[in-house]
Amino acid sequence: MDFSNAYAIAVKDMKEVFSSVEIWGPMLGVPLFFSLMLPLLTFYVTRYAAPNIANKVLASTVTASGATGFNAVFMTFFSINVLGPIFLTMPILTAAVIAADSFAGEKERKTSEALLATPISSAELLVGKIMASFVPATLLTVGVFALYGFVTNWLAMQQFGVSILPTLPWLMMLATSPFLAIVTIGVVVWVSSHVKGTKEAQQISTLLVLPVLVIPFISILGIVDLTSMFFAYLMLVLAAADVAIIYLGIKSFRKTAIR
Amino acid sequence: MESAIRVRSLTKAFGKNVALEGIDFQSHPGINIILGPNGAGKSTLLKCIDGLYRPEKGSVRVFGQDPYTNDGLKSRLSLLTENYALYDFLTVMQNMSFFGRLYGLRDDDIAERTKEVLGQLNASEYIGSKVYTLSRGTKQKVALCRALLNDPEILMMDEPTAFLDAYAAQAIRDLMLRFTKERKTVLFVTQKIDEVTRYNGMITVLRKGRIVKQTTTEGLYRSLLKDSYVNVRVARPIGIADARHIPFFAGTNQDRATFLKFKVSSYKDINIITGHIAKMGSYVVSVDYTEPFIEDLSV
Repeated sequence: MDFSNAYAIAVKDMKEVFSSVEIWGPMLGVPLFFSLMLPLLTFYVTRYAAPNIANKVLASTVTASGATGFNAVFMTFFSINVLGPIFLTMPILTAAVIAADSFAGEKERKTSEALLATPISSAELLVGKIMASFVPATLLTVGVFALYGFVTNWLAMQQFGVSILPTLPWLMMLATSPFLAIVTIGVVVWVSSHVKGTKEAQQISTLLVLPVLVIPFISILGIVDLTSMFFAYLMLVLAAADVAIIYLGIKSFRKTAIR
Repeated sequence: MESAIRVRSLTKAFGKNVALEGIDFQSHPGINIILGPNGAGKSTLLKCIDGLYRPEKGSVRVFGQDPYTNDGLKSRLSLLTENYALYDFLTVMQNMSFFGRLYGLRDDDIAERTKEVLGQLNASEYIGSKVYTLSRGTKQKVALCRALLNDPEILMMDEPTAFLDAYAAQAIRDLMLRFTKERKTVLFVTQKIDEVTRYNGMITVLRKGRIVKQTTTEGLYRSLLKDSYVNVRVARPIGIADARHIPFFAGTNQDRATFLKFKVSSYKDINIITGHIAKMGSYVVSVDYTEPFIEDLSV
């Protein structure tokens, strides 16, 4: 496999995505909005609604955080257990949007005819397109986590005089995002070879956010504690899935999947 | 000499729709043309030869290898499809750089080749423009430039002059003819008889997924001008009484005619007609025939 070909494909795809405001606008705008608005929501809930909600939250879940003081503990809980998983949808949504455009989009716009007429191998095409979705999805997620952490900390410092992020579970949550991105891309590759256009590929692939959105509920209900160990296990499961996806992908992917 | 392209008993279907059936074809150095109406399977045949489609039955060999399984073979071929197949949000040069790199070319070679070909097609000014801002014809020129980047030994084109103005179409024809002087192979598909008769090439007529005739330009004229009418324009008027003495005369709507109609049974009859007109002291300006629809072409 010639990595320079895979690199050329990845760079071309990224240039295409970031040349079109219709694609990168919502992709950056929504996470930016979330990372500014959700800390404000966290702060509001902590300041005004926390006492009532706190009674309903299981003590074991609350005490999982290392912060001290009711407000800080609650804000930490809310930031990580309730809103944190929402940010885990970012690598899924971003990877799904870019990968669908990259795989199904080539088919839809018929640019695949020229691409497939070049001497690239299936592995080069697959790796190039995975990179094109993986790199922006991961960088965007890191950026969004950083911004969310900064705004949350700033509000916490202003009101409660404490800095609450990052915590180890929060960092571990961030570390799961590259693994989630690869799983998403794998699903998009499979879906794209079975549908005609970008919209279908995106709509089916974004269903992957549903399991992630269950996490805040099972956390509030005390079914799982979002501890470092939880995320370590999650990473292990996702890493195994990623290895299987990449191995099977390179072995079975045919260039004609984007034809 | 071994044919660069050899197709044997090729059948290609999409579900229940059989696009090609029992195709036998081999290329010759120079211009090879696949002629047929819409839905004849012309583009599908081109894509099978380029290795984009796997045949259901039969075989396709390019330089003795299977193009579907040999990625490396693609560096010796080039395919210009009916869709311009360029990345709209990238500039012309970014498109060329991308495809050139996939062919293993160096950046300065890509830039030089791009400028050379776009210059020949009178499209150099668009090198920094994003593709979506270009007209359909200019996109077609840029797509041809991309197809020539790797200096292919076989150039395959799908309706290469569609969407082009007369100047650009002629530039592409000249480019193809220069290409064949290097003993390379050009294979293009078209539904325009007018386009086909511009070349002295090998012509394969395809209809409903089957080859119905393999011929030459001369053979095609034999079919086209069999029992058909031709119109002759002359510079010096010919009186109706004199015109009636010209063989194959079929009528005119003037007493002293500069536009005469003849019914010929072969293209050879045209020489007899023009010879008579010259003997009468007039001058032939043009000979036109009514081009049949490709669907009506008798083969």
